[in-house]
Amino acid sequence: MSAQTTTTTTGTGTDTDTADTAAADGSARAPEHAPRLSWTERAPEVYKAMIRLDAAARRGLDPALYELVKIRASQLNHCAFCLDMHTKDALAAGESVERIVQLGAWEESRHFYTEKELAAIELTEAITVLTDGFVPDEVYERAARHFEETELAQLIAAITVINAWNRFGVSTRMVPGHYQPGQHA
Amino acid sequence: MTTRTGHLDPAVARALSALSAAAKQGLGDPALAELVVIRASQLNHCAFCLDLHLGIARQHGVPERQLDLLAAWEEAGDVFDARERAALALTEAITVLTDGFVPDEVYERAARHFDDTGLAHLVGLVVAINNWNRVMVSRRVPPGGYTP
Repeated sequence: MSAQTTTTTTGTGTDTDTADTAAADGSARAPEHAPRLSWTERAPEVYKAMIRLDAAARRGLDPALYELVKIRASQLNHCAFCLDMHTKDALAAGESVERIVQLGAWEESRHFYTEKELAAIELTEAITVLTDGFVPDEVYERAARHFEETELAQLIAAITVINAWNRFGVSTRMVPGHYQPGQHA
Repeated sequence: MTTRTGHLDPAVARALSALSAAAKQGLGDPALAELVVIRASQLNHCAFCLDLHLGIARQHGVPERQLDLLAAWEEAGDVFDARERAALALTEAITVLTDGFVPDEVYERAARHFDDTGLAHLVGLVVAINNWNRVMVSRRVPPGGYTP
């Protein structure tokens, strides 16, 4: 939370003074937005179905690899809430800051990742940016060399599911910043 | 064309179906649901999904003229009413997510035609068909027709 959103009258009023000072010198952060819609409350059966789908899709996948997939898809889909959640979960699970930061430019930082991870990240991009075209043969075939058929089908499902969470997050404008690692694990 | 895996875990398939069913039922407008689903499938180039849902749309009595002009709904005059147009605009924004966010004017226009429960299910339906589009396009599942 940033100072300017805190307007409590408890104590000496220092918070308000800090906010006024910050607003005056331009160092204040922008105010936090509110979500557009509490979709999990308005469509609880849809939310439950998403939870079941998520559990089914992640079965058999390496959790560390799946976090990279989730972060990259969330970057492409611009889902702030999802980035907040999955970067925190990845860090808590022991992922390195470097590998998380470099995901945004993975093509230029290939030596941070294994060939298997790179194949998964490339497939993630192709399946995520679907409106620009299809999933190219070379991308699919590279993934098929690193993942046996059952695991590949799970990877495709898992990429689909993070795309689903991204769509809920962005369209209902879920608020990033408050996630605690493991909260939704 | 090279063949790809036909494999899809049965639990995943069931969960995908359950999500679609929950969203569609909550929206409570089968004809509108098919317009939404077909428009997303056009944007995501899913042949299997188009084939299937054009069949279902006809079964639900969606007018042939709407199906013909759906890809150009914004230019289609009064073929689509204001509620349908608001739903289609939201569908496009949620589907083409990598180009940007869901604009306020698109969301607010939808919110004028749907209450929060309707909106939550409409968003859910767009998400659900985007799931199917991804699962079918990436595995290159050929169109299989529609059997009522």
